[in-house]
Amino acid sequence: MSERNNYENKDIALIDILDTVLDKGVAIKGDILISIAGIDLVYLDLRVLISAVETLIQADENAAHSLSSEQFDSEKEELKHVTERS
Amino acid sequence: MSDLIYLYGIVPNHPGQNECPAFKGLDQTHEVYTLSYGTLAAVVCTLDGGEYSEEALKEKSNQMEWVQEKAFHHHEALLTIREALPVVPMKFCTIYASRSSLTEMIESHKEKLVDLLARLEDKEEWNLKIYCDTAKLKEEAEAHNLTIQAKRDEIATMSPGRQYLEKRKLDQVADEEVEKEKDAFCTDFHEELKAFCEDSTVKDTWNKQVTGKDVEMCWNSAYLLATQDVEQFLATITKMKEQSSPSGWQIEATGPWPAYHFANLS
Repeated sequence: MSERNNYENKDIALIDILDTVLDKGVAIKGDILISIAGIDLVYLDLRVLISAVETLIQADENAAHSLSSEQFDSEKEELKHVTERS
Repeated sequence: MSDLIYLYGIVPNHPGQNECPAFKGLDQTHEVYTLSYGTLAAVVCTLDGGEYSEEALKEKSNQMEWVQEKAFHHHEALLTIREALPVVPMKFCTIYASRSSLTEMIESHKEKLVDLLARLEDKEEWNLKIYCDTAKLKEEAEAHNLTIQAKRDEIATMSPGRQYLEKRKLDQVADEEVEKEKDAFCTDFHEELKAFCEDSTVKDTWNKQVTGKDVEMCWNSAYLLATQDVEQFLATITKMKEQSSPSGWQIEATGPWPAYHFANLS
């Protein structure tokens, strides 16, 4: 097998792509000018975004778990207990 | 609002050459097409003037997911074009308001673009990154480095209080030695690879926060080489990978890339 086959079409990290297309390539002034934050910022922001979503999902799962009907019932039971005694 | 023109890159325009591949443009609606300028052609797509106005783009470019998706599209588009034809890749989001201002740009850079395309013909860009396990390198350095060994023998003869201080100093020496070794390893290998290449460039390394890896990036570079030299270039990398991985080095090569790092008009 050729060496090329070992390297070609390997998964390329997103940061590699951002690093080259946001920063390199021929920069001729187009008519529309936009400025994009530095590549590390874009990338870190993305990662923060992804991890924020993950945390949200996790929090959701935890919340769902703690609000299981079983727990709800037992808490209700406890409350009843306390109110009846007072 | 009138339509805008998104420019991906410039390709040659000669009779009998490969066709520029067809695919959907940046907005996933309009088709990509070429505009002829003599021996050059511009690979472009149409964008809706309202949806992609400067103001709208300013808004969009603040949304990281949009940037990610569209930058990825830009890169994929250039990869696809590169498979068929040599291409001068443009930076992400190079957009013209009219056909006439695109024409004006191309006409004013025509000579350089023609030269650049001739230079990029039958060439490939490859990128290299080297990572290292610093803790492992330090262990090795402490075990094998003569300067460190001599210092350690010297410390063994000292009073306990002195020993503590001197050990801390020795630790610093070990860190410095590791830094030197990293530098030497990477620059030596870079020199070895440069022998196969027409051009090369050394880039900034990224910190762990950005790479998300537990090993440290200590080298980042790009190479432009003739297609016929790629096998040998990669064989050299494979050999070095095998040789150096037991001592804690990770070498990653990716390509072929559109010649982003070597397409320069200035």
